[in-house]
Amino acid sequence: MVRVAIKIVGAQGQGVNSVGEMCAKGLKRSGFCVFGYREYMSLIKGGHSSYQLDVSAEDVRSSTTRVDIVVTFNHHGLEKNLRDIKKGGILLHQTPQWKFKNPEDQAFIAEQKIRVIELPTDAILKKLKAKPILGNVLITAVVWSLLSQPEEQLRALVREQFGHKKDLLDLNFACIAEGFAACKVIAPGITLSLPKPDSKWQDQLLLTGSQAMGLGIIHAGCRVYVGYPMTPSSPILTFIADMQNETGMAVKQAEDEITAAQMMVGAMHMGTRAITATSGGGFDLMTETLSLTGITETPAVFILAQRPGPGTALPTWTAQGDLTLAVGAGHGEYTRLVMAASDTQDSFDLLPEAFNFAEEFQIPVIVLTDKHLGEALFTQPAFDQTIAKLKRGRLVTDLRELAQLKPADRYDPAAGDGVSKRWLPGSEAATFCAQGDEHGPDGSVTEDAENARQQMEKRLKKMAALKAALPEPLYVGPKNPETLIVSWGSNRGVIFDVLESAEMKKKNIGYLHYQYLWPLKTESFEMLSRTAKRTVFIECNHGGQLASLLKLACGRDVTQKILKFDGRPFFFEELREKLLSALTPNPSLDRRGA
Amino acid sequence: MHDFASVHPCTWCDGCGDYGIWSAAKRALVELKIQPWQVLLCFDVGCHGNMSDKIEAYRFHGLHGRVIPLTAGASLANPTIPVIAFGGDGASFSEGIGHLVHAVRSNYRMTFILHNNANYGLTTGQASALTPQDQKMNSSPNGIPESTLNSMDFVFSLKPTFVARGFSGDIAQMTRILMAAIRHRGFAYVDMLQACPTYNKFATHEWLMQHCYDAATEGHDPKNFEKARALAVDTQNRVATGILYQTEDVPAFHEHLKPREGVTTTPVEEVKIVDTSKWERSFA
Ligand SMILES: Cc1ncc(C[n+]2csc(CCOP(=O)(O)OP(=O)(O)O)c2C)c(N)n1
Ligand code: SF4
Ligand SMILES: [Mg+2]
Repeated sequence: MVRVAIKIVGAQGQGVNSVGEMCAKGLKRSGFCVFGYREYMSLIKGGHSSYQLDVSAEDVRSSTTRVDIVVTFNHHGLEKNLRDIKKGGILLHQTPQWKFKNPEDQAFIAEQKIRVIELPTDAILKKLKAKPILGNVLITAVVWSLLSQPEEQLRALVREQFGHKKDLLDLNFACIAEGFAACKVIAPGITLSLPKPDSKWQDQLLLTGSQAMGLGIIHAGCRVYVGYPMTPSSPILTFIADMQNETGMAVKQAEDEITAAQMMVGAMHMGTRAITATSGGGFDLMTETLSLTGITETPAVFILAQRPGPGTALPTWTAQGDLTLAVGAGHGEYTRLVMAASDTQDSFDLLPEAFNFAEEFQIPVIVLTDKHLGEALFTQPAFDQTIAKLKRGRLVTDLRELAQLKPADRYDPAAGDGVSKRWLPGSEAATFCAQGDEHGPDGSVTEDAENARQQMEKRLKKMAALKAALPEPLYVGPKNPETLIVSWGSNRGVIFDVLESAEMKKKNIGYLHYQYLWPLKTESFEMLSRTAKRTVFIECNHGGQLASLLKLACGRDVTQKILKFDGRPFFFEELREKLLSALTPNPSLDRRGA
Repeated sequence: MHDFASVHPCTWCDGCGDYGIWSAAKRALVELKIQPWQVLLCFDVGCHGNMSDKIEAYRFHGLHGRVIPLTAGASLANPTIPVIAFGGDGASFSEGIGHLVHAVRSNYRMTFILHNNANYGLTTGQASALTPQDQKMNSSPNGIPESTLNSMDFVFSLKPTFVARGFSGDIAQMTRILMAAIRHRGFAYVDMLQACPTYNKFATHEWLMQHCYDAATEGHDPKNFEKARALAVDTQNRVATGILYQTEDVPAFHEHLKPREGVTTTPVEEVKIVDTSKWERSFA
């Protein structure tokens, strides 16, 4: 697969994101698959940030460590990102009369044959009497010219954005023309060649995991969203809030995460679909409520968008360190479901499932995502609207059935799978108490030993039924793989890219991907790992949390682990190399990442 | 009253003010012709929360300190069903005080009944933020060092739309208050001064009897915010009860939501798979 990588860097607030997004949209429309990856710091203005686009005519779902071109907004990028450039790559900057003073930098440029191009942005903008913000379009035009992309296409993009403001549009057009003209002067004969495009990408969507998850929430019929800002869950809140006038959803920014969780539960109890999203610290605050839903058997859906911990750690970076938190959070024993999205498709598809499982089993459901998935840009076919079905389990709404209900039907321990009938306040029926204390079948408080045993068993019986209802993890690969890779969450993209690379294609590797993580299905894993020569876990955490859960469940520990816990996702070449060395026999079983 | 009667006997101490509040709540619902299936009662954790299975109706007995957001969420999902939250002074002025602040600000459509016994009853009589300073309590043998929070001053500072005060010995007045509170457009804050003969030895039933008076009998106008506030805060010699302040001019939270304007269904009725394709176009 031929892939080209473009990295735009600069201070936060300088326009890195808008140039990145404009390039991504344009390239996708030209017939390329684009994967966008953002890095930024937890501050508003000034921190060094980047937006990398990996572009190919085939599927691309990861970022490379080395790129074909770095476009920098300031001189910091010249020094900080020089070594990100591949041999023969381009460094496009806008710092007048810049000279590399560091002899090592000079040597690197010479050895690697890096072509350094300076765009006189200030001079051009001055000539056009244009504000600095128009520098974004100007530099995009230069990139466009280097990529030999049609000028008209960029004009079309700009027209979409500023079409209603004639003056601004004209100025944008002038910048595009100047950019193309300047490129001929500052970079004569330099181009960056892209592979032959494929029209199948043109009409696809370009969106982040958070946006896809937001659409999934709406698709699922969720009508109430309660949140409290915390990266990387905030983009979901923003998306849902921005859509509210279209969707008619009730959106509430709560005073804290405890409130958000409680309001969600109150709304679910009343009978709508409601959700909340947060990250680790906020989820910690929600856990008492999570536990409450365990005993009241109230359907509940929590999105846990992971970032590194403990504490505040790295707020704007990624991690998969909260799997065991999701599995173990909240006091007491009760049935819960933990699932993890891995890409935009999952982010959309899993949300209706999350609500369905929550209602069918009357349990809390935790949907894991992470900063990498939430903020990366994916090329994605339009979502299939016909797959999801509304499943509300034993929710009684039929008037005749309601009339026959007894209070003791609510927590009837006789239910074979532990799931009893549920009905909504306002239904003309016998009433019950959703009871947070241990209770008898009608929700009345009782401390009777036999009842306590029965109710606990009822609630935990659901676990077996739920486990049976869950699909096995997704498996791709030969029937008896020599190497079995096991992973979950946002690693899926880079794993696919690596497995499809020339170095890996012919190797006998299978990949088992867990979407549903708790209750843990072990059948496929046990079958595949029993015959595989080696099993390799790939996770973005320090402990190998999925590996530990599977070890606990299956007692098997003949595994290798490729782990990373520095806030960054796995990059393409990085994972390829790590996997290659994992495939060559090595006495050390535990292989840790940077 | 029969409809709301539970088979379970109450478990409060003899002379506990919760009996009176419990009776008034049932009466108010009956007077308003609300059937048990037409209302949701939410309970905090405390002595008052032990009412959760001593009354019929749809009920939710949740966590300590969290009854307000639980009830607010229910109300947001279906504003057509009256929802009543029962909470203690410990729950509402310590553990969950933030919720109270924001519920008043938000003006959710709900009734909040504060069982104000000025102590943590269920955990055997520790001081709450409303216990008088220097009062000796369980776990504070030398009296509590903290100054007392003036709950009424605090609530009035938040610009409430409904404030009432009752006393657990006057069921008729509490019933009238609760009827108005349940009908109120937004967040109705009802402070029920509750006798707790077991742990509250300072504001006893007798003390409350002697000090409480119905402000309406002295011509109090509940439309006057400043007068209401002054009256509510000053409990030095006498304690004013009744509906102290009410305005219906402020929309409830759900009425404030732009996307819900003109919508005739409730979020509960709107649950269905939604086609999102029209919103996907902006991503192409
Ligand atoms: C998170 C949590 N912390 C502490 C408790 C223990 N607890 C139960 S009731 C209560 C205090 C009750 O006081 P109040 O809210 O005034 O209600 P009362 O019993 O006086 O009616 C406490 C601290 C709990 N249940 N949950
Ligand atoms: S301790 Fe006080 S509040 Fe609790 S039941 Fe006894 S009298 Fe009532
Ligand atoms: Mg109390």
